[in-house]
Amino acid sequence: MAVAVEDWVRTLGFMDVYRMLKLGDAVIHIPDNISKRMKIFVGDLTLISNRPVEIFTDERIQFLATLSSTLFKLPQVRSLPDVSTFAYWSRKSNLLRLRELSKSKSKFKMGLGLSFHICPSNVPINFAFSMAFGLLAGNTCVIRLPTKESPTISTLIEAILNVLSIPEYADIKSEILIARFLRDDEVNKFWLSVADCKIVWGGDDTVNHFRSLPSQPRSREVAFPDRYSLCILNPSEVNLLDNGGLKKLTLNLFNDIYLMDQAACSSPQLIVWIGEDEEVRSAKMRLWPALVEIVADRYELKPVHAVDKYVEACNIAINNERAISVECSGNLLYRIELSSISVEQDKYRGYFGTVHEITLRSMDELSPMVNERYQTITYFGFMPNIIRNVIASQKLRGIDRVVPVGAAIDMGLFWDGYDIVTSLSREIVFQ
Amino acid sequence: MSEPINIDPILEWPVFGLSQEEKSQWLLVALKNLTNWHDKRCPEYHSVLSKIKNAENMDSISDLPFLPVRLFKSQKLLSIPYSDVIKIMTSSGTSGQNVSQIFLDKKTSSMQVKILSKIVSSFIGPQRLPMLVIDCRATIVNRFKFSARTAGILGFSIFGHDVEFALDDDMTINLDRVSRFLEKYTDQDILLFGFTFIVWQHWIRYLEDVSIKVPIRNGILMHGGGWKQLQSQAVSPNEFKYRLKSVSEISRIHNYYGMVEQTGSIFIECEEGNLHTSSWSEIIIRNPTDFKVMPKGGVGLIQLLSVIPHSYPGHSLLSEDEGEIIGVDGCSCGRLGTYFRVYGRIQNAEVRGCSDTYSR
Repeated sequence: MAVAVEDWVRTLGFMDVYRMLKLGDAVIHIPDNISKRMKIFVGDLTLISNRPVEIFTDERIQFLATLSSTLFKLPQVRSLPDVSTFAYWSRKSNLLRLRELSKSKSKFKMGLGLSFHICPSNVPINFAFSMAFGLLAGNTCVIRLPTKESPTISTLIEAILNVLSIPEYADIKSEILIARFLRDDEVNKFWLSVADCKIVWGGDDTVNHFRSLPSQPRSREVAFPDRYSLCILNPSEVNLLDNGGLKKLTLNLFNDIYLMDQAACSSPQLIVWIGEDEEVRSAKMRLWPALVEIVADRYELKPVHAVDKYVEACNIAINNERAISVECSGNLLYRIELSSISVEQDKYRGYFGTVHEITLRSMDELSPMVNERYQTITYFGFMPNIIRNVIASQKLRGIDRVVPVGAAIDMGLFWDGYDIVTSLSREIVFQ
Repeated sequence: MSEPINIDPILEWPVFGLSQEEKSQWLLVALKNLTNWHDKRCPEYHSVLSKIKNAENMDSISDLPFLPVRLFKSQKLLSIPYSDVIKIMTSSGTSGQNVSQIFLDKKTSSMQVKILSKIVSSFIGPQRLPMLVIDCRATIVNRFKFSARTAGILGFSIFGHDVEFALDDDMTINLDRVSRFLEKYTDQDILLFGFTFIVWQHWIRYLEDVSIKVPIRNGILMHGGGWKQLQSQAVSPNEFKYRLKSVSEISRIHNYYGMVEQTGSIFIECEEGNLHTSSWSEIIIRNPTDFKVMPKGGVGLIQLLSVIPHSYPGHSLLSEDEGEIIGVDGCSCGRLGTYFRVYGRIQNAEVRGCSDTYSR
């Protein structure tokens, strides 16, 4: 029996009303003057709720896993390494593994309610990770995308809309809202007034700005301000590598430095060799030409970025007395040799393949420099427990991640010193 | 060697009359001397040269080091005692950028004027011409607001007498004033000067919109500065000329290319539509990513070399403009030297970084 279109529309309309009734006061009422200023890409302004669920529910794991397989089917993913990294992370087996790590049988954890995410433009994919973290922690997610367009973001939006069109994920439509709006404190204040937690990615200024706006008294914050990262290399281990090993190391370095144009906070800015001058010299002669070869093969340096790098190198040559020399390697890799480290090292940040480089006798010599802004150490040729001992014995205020070279930009549930799911959920005690 | 350089013989060179062979020898000597001169006298320049690995020897002009033109926005670069500075030129950055500061002493400033006038006179003749500026008087009154336009108008005013402004301060043509001016000079050449995008928007487009023709058959237009904020409206050089001819019957139209960081070193478009290097300047096209010299016919970043800058290390600059060398010594207009075309700024991308998340 054919159904008249009008009847069908009426039924759909009724279903919406029914849905509203079902959710009752859970649906956030958004004033017109706020909704008018938001451009919605995913979700429905009339449906967004603040009802949390348990952490790591089957439904949400399944949703993210389906998103993962949907992404892998899109043709453009091949040319977007950051998207495939996210898709790989959100595959089902990995999410189940993370659930095992985070969820214990004896504890009962629920989300907080509504999470408000301010996402960064320097690493576009982080909005997807932020959303996944919010969902796995049991919250609904309102996400402010960066203003800057990027193929990463449009690809993700396309895939998320695809998955949400599958009937079994209908409920998630009221749990995700992805929007763009201009720098507008009226909109920010509204969302902060209804948010149970905020996740702020961006520079120190952004973090401070959102801290200056009123939030709910019980609101939690997870903030990711500017960070600085370094790479520690063992020259004698580099010298011992066969060609296969060298290739693997340079590929890993390439991923750490170049995949995000060095704009990720976890991309190394400083290369530290721990050893004697002679072995460092020969290790450099092996490593850097091999890296430049890979960069030439895999990285497209835009003209404007080549000029940016050159301008910055000139500025450093002039302003930084500790900079002895700048090796340019055809503009693909700029290496700024330092005579000594300084407490101001984290002010010197390069992009598109500009690293500072120094040789030290021991890891302990790093401690005067390492402040709370230091985030990731990538290491090669050391046992991580040696670095652990340095962090403990030198009482370092910085360093939240110690990972092998190649894993610098792998995003995860433990970031910037936070256990993110724990930070965005509440533990309910039964006795 | 960094003795003060005697510039008098340099000024005797014929404007467009040196063959490549002769010119490159002259220039190499002069530019090498300048490189050493600045290296000895400007500590910042010395830091760049000594720390950033460049070619060891200077066998040809393309081996000479170059500074990125943007460096003048972040550094104050002088090769003279500050007490010798007689003028500081600034470039207008786009909003939110620093401006370039260029420090001039008497010698560099006078060389700028002398060489600029030799080049321009070779196109418009040695006499000062009545001059009509396609801009408003406020541009030179309010020097803080329009520094690049101000500098351009004042710089070109040395070729004019009875300088008149075609536009009112609201940037509309004052037809009465223009007519009065044109009636005075019906039987002699008139120099018109303006910035490309201003001539386009406030002269050509305006006259088209109101369907009025203002014939200036004896006009010679000098225009430069590109399209700036009007990039979206940019038209080809040929269309620009055609439409200017339609509204004003001007057929002698010369675009020029130059920058405040190398004032005096001006490149003027000939009758064939090519920009020409004079005896005192040279152009090298570099690959935009590795800065290697491009083979002939390649499009890349324009490096500008000039023998003028003594007071600041600006004799060899890498611009952010893209262009192409068309040929050397072979232009049908008869002028010797390298001739080339400019295609505009390299695509400007935002610098990404943790701190720009919430900007704008």
